[in-house]
This record gives sequence, structure tokens and C-alpha cells, in this order.
Amino acid sequence: MPKKYHIDTKVTPLELEYIHKFRIERGENCINCGRCTKVCIYEVHKRGRDGDSRKMALPSTVTCRNCFRCIQECPRGALEKSLDGDFLNMGGSYWKPDMFITLWKQAEDGKVPVSGAGYRGPFTGPGFDGMWTDMSEIVRPTRDGIHGREYISTSVELGRKLNHLVFDENGKMLSEVQNTIDVPIPIVFDFPYEELGANIRAGIIKAAAKLNTFVILSPKDITPDVKGEMKNIIPLMSYKDIDANLDLIRSVRIVALEYDEEMEKTLPAIIEKIKKLGSILTMVRIPATRSVEDAVLKLAQNGAEIIHVVADYRGIEIGTVDAENPPLLSRDVIRAVHLKLVDERVRDEVSILFSGGIAMAEHVPKAMICGADLTAIDIPLLIALGTRLYEEPEKILVFAEGVESLSVGTITQRMVNLMGAWHSQLLEVMGAMGIREARRLRGETGRAIFYEEIDADTFGKLFKKSETVSL
Amino acid sequence: MKPSTVKINPMPSRFKHQVPKYKVTRSNACINCSTCAKSCPHGVHERLEGHNKVRPPIDYKCIGFDCSKNDFYCVDRCPRKALSVSLNPMYETLGDYRWTADMITATWIMAETGYPPERTDLEYDIGNSGGGFDKLRLKFPSGRPKLDKFEISTEIPLNRRNDGRVNIMISTPVYGGGMSFGSVSLPTMVSKARNAEIWNTFTCTGEGGYPEMLTPYDDHVITQVATGLFGVREETIQRVKIIEFKYAQGAKPGLGGHLLGEKNTESVARMREAVKGSPLFSPFPFHSVYSIEDHKKHIDWIKEINPKALISVKVSTPNDVDMVAVGSYYAGAHIIHIDGGYGGTGAAPDIAKKNIAMPIEYAITKVHNFLKEEGVRDEITLIASGGVRTAHDLAKAICLGADGCVIGTAEMVSLECVRCGNCESGRGCARGIASTDSVLADLFNEDWATQRLTNMYHAWNVQLVEILQRFGMRSVRELVGRTDLLEHIDYSK
Ligand code: SF4
Ligand code: SF4
Ligand code: SF4
Ligand code: SF4
Repeated sequence: MPKKYHIDTKVTPLELEYIHKFRIERGENCINCGRCTKVCIYEVHKRGRDGDSRKMALPSTVTCRNCFRCIQECPRGALEKSLDGDFLNMGGSYWKPDMFITLWKQAEDGKVPVSGAGYRGPFTGPGFDGMWTDMSEIVRPTRDGIHGREYISTSVELGRKLNHLVFDENGKMLSEVQNTIDVPIPIVFDFPYEELGANIRAGIIKAAAKLNTFVILSPKDITPDVKGEMKNIIPLMSYKDIDANLDLIRSVRIVALEYDEEMEKTLPAIIEKIKKLGSILTMVRIPATRSVEDAVLKLAQNGAEIIHVVADYRGIEIGTVDAENPPLLSRDVIRAVHLKLVDERVRDEVSILFSGGIAMAEHVPKAMICGADLTAIDIPLLIALGTRLYEEPEKILVFAEGVESLSVGTITQRMVNLMGAWHSQLLEVMGAMGIREARRLRGETGRAIFYEEIDADTFGKLFKKSETVSL
Repeated sequence: MKPSTVKINPMPSRFKHQVPKYKVTRSNACINCSTCAKSCPHGVHERLEGHNKVRPPIDYKCIGFDCSKNDFYCVDRCPRKALSVSLNPMYETLGDYRWTADMITATWIMAETGYPPERTDLEYDIGNSGGGFDKLRLKFPSGRPKLDKFEISTEIPLNRRNDGRVNIMISTPVYGGGMSFGSVSLPTMVSKARNAEIWNTFTCTGEGGYPEMLTPYDDHVITQVATGLFGVREETIQRVKIIEFKYAQGAKPGLGGHLLGEKNTESVARMREAVKGSPLFSPFPFHSVYSIEDHKKHIDWIKEINPKALISVKVSTPNDVDMVAVGSYYAGAHIIHIDGGYGGTGAAPDIAKKNIAMPIEYAITKVHNFLKEEGVRDEITLIASGGVRTAHDLAKAICLGADGCVIGTAEMVSLECVRCGNCESGRGCARGIASTDSVLADLFNEDWATQRLTNMYHAWNVQLVEILQRFGMRSVRELVGRTDLLEHIDYSK
């Protein structure tokens, strides 16, 4: 049994102004009777406005847990509660306001979010929301993943695996087995473009190193002070810049190259060149535009080791789309890539890293079930620092005030906490499925339930039939 | 037992008032003429003796837009056009997609009065989730119903195996879900059992042991044997008429149970034979069951200990739920209880509630059809749970193929749960329902809670009978599997 992968989480609150979901106000109707003070067990209501203990102070709206007791017990109906306007404004159609609240919490305590009462959300939704993962009731190989009584491995392998081995007539192996790299968690960090404060960048790199995963960065961000973490850094560059970065490439384990159509021909030569510098894996970063699977196939057939398919941050493919051509959702992009490679019998030879719209822990196993080997994230790590994102009118990240003075240690710990919470949630999902190794999630669509399929299969069959009968 | 003999007593809220749906606003055009205070019979507007101003309106008393047809409608009566009625933004903070604010309010009214609300401004038959039950509609025939309500039976049998074990009929095709002592307060548990007796149906202990106080209701209690085996004893198994194996729970399929340390108080720990204050985990799955054959051994073991009782098997809804159901039949179970992913819980990881296993609507169809194909459907009772919120959901579940349903959240809401989700944190439920904190658990007494549950069951029964009457059916058993009486707003024309 391999040594157990453990993420050290530690409660790390930030002294920042967060946005809260509920706003509670005391209206002019209040007669200062003090009833609300007695009934609220979360101490939202206190006496003492302007030092006058006869008057009620402003409610401490941030601690309200929405239990409605004060509302229902106030004799004057003076208390008003509403969804906070700033809360509702956050995010957009993909990044829902509730996601920020849960990610902030996970970054603070590193724990799996647990709550009482049943599920509250819509029945289904687009993309990943239209998927349920399976579980095994009786016949299953795992037990109690999260409570640690049995080892579930979340590690995945990066690199090219051979389809089959070739031997000569004397039994000597002719195939050259290439090196692969184990990543203990199927999540890498992806920050090649974002302009970040020095402390945030340093925190991201430290967090990647602590988790023993990778962070993708632009060479200009790889400054001398991070030399200690080179084995966790993946520099991203154009293949034309390889010669200008030979030393940098020699010091890393993986190098990422921007996709270029040329590569469909030149990739073998490029890989060979890089291999000459050391046992370094090459990753090609390709934007998920329409029919990206064709380009991915060509790369795979030309010896690509890792292909990073990058979709839009809202979990859709990239490129302008009109009403007639609604964008494909991440889920379907990954499935298309995976199936194409399976059909052409090269799926096992290449690792697929996917990013674009991985916003919640559940998206990691779901992306893998759809066919990714692992995922890459950026925005959630920034949200871990109290950052907000707005989708409209265009993507904008709003950092919390005071973030520039946070210590690298705090930033690192917040990100580690978030990944700790995600890791535990991944274990929950895998444990329920009875899958012991994360690499086995890949392409296991049979272990998921897709809304469109089951709905058509159940209700479509039941109710379309009755329609034709009645005709 | 006839549902019509159940005693209904109005049982008002423990709180001063409901969550207001409407907001009444008085603009500064008001001249304090008092017309509104004199005209509104509901007391929204008030002017105290000796004051020269009317008081700010009291929203929760307002009856809403429907009032516009009354001649006392303040908005029309105000000479200065200073008043307006609008939806209260607070109402948006109550409920969610599955349990809408209207549904919660309506359930509160049912628990208070024993009947569906008379108010016409509440949509409580369907929720806002955009799928499953919320997209299915009952297709009623036109014309006047010919049956008299008194001729209609809502009784169902639970033992359909004809194997010499007890024959149990329950008077309404619903029973109360497992909630363990520890996850809910003792008054909550006891009132559920008392209600089960009144309705000649069942409640379930959950996996936290069998509190002494339930002994008078033994004939209406299902005791659970769950993976943690907390508080399971031969003696409790011999006491009851139904024993349930809990393999999994819909809200956290595949994850086992988890009681936070704070909720493991002294009395809870005693019942579970555990150490106070330490978190308690129920493992997943049964560590002695790795095949249907093992499953059968389990059932045989219980059957041996109690030669009369029925066996229920509670499972969640994975892809192979149909296989598990058939397997349970062959293993000798009387009841297969399937619990869908969107059901309630005292505490579960959010990721599990949303993402693991299929919603109950699909699972019922799958299991019912598979049991039929296997030729054993008539020998086993199929009970569904996990997102059955209203009498209409119940009727739809039966049309899809269930014999009856188990409800949990609807019971909690009757006791004035608001689904705030704080049950597991700190002292537990601020409203005293899911709490073992002594002060909070004293927030209501059993008489109040029992009557609230009885009233809600009555309101559901009234609605169910009405549905059967409109379909011209004498028994709820005729409704089972009648998907032809449903339509789906996406597929049906
Ligand atoms: S209960 Fe109402 S009236 Fe009394 S102090 Fe609180 S807000 Fe004011
Ligand atoms: S709603 Fe509940 S938590 Fe919020 S202020 Fe009122 S009593 Fe306190
Ligand atoms: S009727 Fe109109 S003007 Fe008169 S007291 Fe009421 S709100 Fe004011
Ligand atoms: S804590 Fe909230 S959700 Fe839980 S039982 Fe109490 S009112 Fe209901």
C-alpha cells in the first residue's frame, strides 16, 4: 500500500469584508420589546443603540442563519429579511453566488461542507449539473474512504503509455518505456496569464509544492526566488521560444507549449528536442474551440504526451457562437475528446488535462468520468482569498481589500485548505462509487447517470408512447 | 381504522405569526385620516387612541392581492392613494427550489387546521425544481365524480408474501421516515410514534436505538438495523412488527451515518452505548454484506430472532437499484424501501445531496418495471421516499409504481421546520425540532407536535381521497402504476 496522501488543513480565517447571503433589518415598527434578543440563538439582536440600552442596536446581519424565529416572533412584524443585493450580483449564470460562499468557507476550514435538511437546488441543470454519480449498495470493493479505514488513491499518472510492448524474437523488449509522473491529486493549478500580486503568486506556487501537484506559469513569472519549487512548476511558452529557455526547461519536469497547427507535423521533432534536455514531459495547451477533438486526435497520433484542453471559464467551449450554434458545455467537450481518442484507439497513450469551468469539488470527478485524466483550476484558488468574480458585462475579478498585505503563509494555507476540502469530497464520491483509484474514474460514464439519457429513457418512453397511442 | 375517525383539532403555530408573503407600504402622501385603520378587518393598520399618527402597517396580517375584490381593500379606500401591497422580499428567503415558500406555508396551514389551505394564493402541489414530480401532472377526467368519498379506501397491505408472518394494513399509504434519537429531539420522536398510532401506520426509529418512551407504540414502530448497529438488541427486534435494514440513505448514498460530537449528548450516548461527545460514524456499507447471498443471511438472522415480523430493506437509488430490489425480494424481504437522492437528512455533505444517485422519480419507474418483468411485483411492497413533499407527490409516486411513501421533511415542516439546514451545527435546530439541546428541545411539547402531525396527515388524506374520487377509484391500490393518468409537461401533448 502506498503511503497515504494527506493534506494538512488548518482553520485560517481572513479579516476581510465578506458578502453575506441574508440582510436583516429592523423596521420603524420596532417597539424595543427585546423579544428578538431572546429568541435568536445566534445573537444577531442586541440592545444598546447609541449607548442607550432601551433601544435595540442594529442587527448583526452577518451572523444570521435564516431560522426565522425573530421574524415570526416579533409582535410588530418589524423585522425584515431579504437576499442581499451584493450577494445576488456576484458571479453570473455559471458562477452562482452560493458557490462563493461555500468556497470561502472551505478555504477557511478545509472541511467538507455539511448541512442539515435535504437538497435545495434545481432538479437538474446544464453540463455537470445534469449528471449524478453512481454508488454501490451491496457489492463494492471500498469502505469508508473518508474516514480512513481503507485506502483510496486519488493519484493519476501523466505521460504517454504504450499501447502494447514490442519484443524481438529473442524476447528482448524493443519498445522504449517512457517515464510518467504521478500526481497525487487530479488537480493542477493554471495561472499562465493572470497578472497577480507577488504574494499571491508565491502562495500559489507554495501551495502547489505542498500538495505535490503542479502550477502552470508564464516564464516571466518564474523568478529566481521560486527556484526551490521548480519541480512543481510547468512553464508555458510557444514552441518557438524553446531555444530561448533551455535552462528553464532543463530545471522542470513538464513543459507546456501553446498549440499551433504546425505541431500536427512538427510535434515529434519538438518532443525529441525536449527529451534531449532531460526526462521532461511535453504538454500541449489547446483551446477548446469547435471540433477540438480532431486537433487533439492529430496531436495524440503524433506522439503528444499530455494535452491540456482549455475551455472557457464558464464551462463552455471557446469561440463566438450564434443562436443557431449554442456553445458546447465542458461536459460534452470532454466526452467528445475522450470518445474520439477511444474510437481511434489512442486514448491510453495520452493524458488529457482539462480546464474551464471547474468551480466546485464535484466537477473534478465529473470531468474525469466524462473522460479527462485530471483537471486544472484557477479561479477557485483566487476565490479562496475572498475574491469575487463577475461575468457581466465581461469577466472581472475583484480582490478583497487588504489582500495585497496577506502573508504568503496565509495565502498558501487557504489554498491548501480548499484543496483539502476538495480532496475529501473526491474521496466521498469515489467511496460511494466503490472506486479505489482515481485513474479508474476516467471515462467511466457507465458509473454516472446523465439527466438527458435517464429522463428520455424513463419519462420520454412513458409519455411519448401514450401520445402516439392517442393519435 | 377509518381516516374519517381521526380527530382533528386546530393547533396553531408556536410562533406569533407566519412569514409574511405580502408587504404593505404607506407613502408619505398619508394624511393620517384613519380610513385604513377603520376599514381593514385584519388589523394591518392601527391608530392608537390619543396618537395623531397611524402606526406602520403590520405585513404579516395582510391577506394579499386577493383582497382587492373586497370593498374594505385599503389600497382603494385610501383617499390619498398612499397605500400599496406588494410581494414581500422576505418571502424569497423562505424555502428553496424543492420546498417553495408557498409549499412550506401551505404545510404549516395543514398542520394547523387539518385541511388543505383555503387560501387561493398558494401553489403547493408542485415545487420549483424544474424536474421530476414538478414536471408531472395528474390527468383528471372531466365530468363530475360519481363515487362518494366515504366509499374510498386509502388502506394498503404491507405483507404481500403470504408467508404466515403478520398481515399489516396501514390506513393511509404513508409512514414516517427514520430519524434517530440524537438527530431529532425526544418529543419529536415520541410525537411521530403517537401520530403513527393514531393513523394506524408506522414511524421508524432510525439507527440510534430504541428509546424507552416508544414502548407504548411498539406496534407502530419500525426498528432499524443500520450499518453502525447502534442500540440494536434482540429484545428491541422482538418487540416490533417491522424491522428495517438500512443499507443506505438517499441524501448521502454510500456514505454511512455521521452524528457530530456536539449532538452526542449524555442521553444519546447511553442509548447508542457510545461515549458522550465523540462523533459517531456508521460505516458504509454493512461490513458483513458483500453480496445478495450475504444479504439473505442477514434477513434470515432477523427472521430467526423475530418469527412474526416483516422485513423491510431500505436502499438508495444507484443505477442498479432494480437489481438490488429483486435481490431483496429473493432474499425474503417484504418491503423494499427506495430512498432517492433528494431526500432529507439531519446532516450530510452537500456534495452527496446534490450529486450522488438518481432522483426517486426515475428509481420508482425502474424498480416497479423490473419487479413486474420478474413476475414478483405483486409479492412485495414498494415504498418510495426522498423528495415526496406533498399529497400530489405521493399520488404521482404511486402512479409511477410505488405502493406508498415514506415522508420525513414534510413531518419536520409540520413541526415548523424552515429548512434552514442548521440542524447539525452548534446547539442544533433553533426551532427545537432537530435538537437534543435541553432548552431548545423544550420548545414544544408532544401534544402539540402529535396534533400537528395528525392534522397534516389528515390534510394529505383529504387530498388523496379527492384525487381518487376524481379518478373514480375505490382504493388507492388501483392507482399503483397508472402512468397513463400522468402527463409530463415536456413529453406529453
Ligand atoms: S421583537 Fe420586534 S419589536 Fe421587539 S425589539 Fe425586536 S424588532 Fe423590536
Ligand atoms: S432569522 Fe434566526 S438567526 Fe436570523 S436574526 Fe432572526 S432569529 Fe437570528
Ligand atoms: S387611509 Fe391612507 S391617508 Fe388615511 S391613514 Fe390610511 S394610509 Fe393614511
Ligand atoms: S435546523 Fe432548520 S432545517 Fe433543521 S430541523 Fe430545524 S428548522 Fe429544520
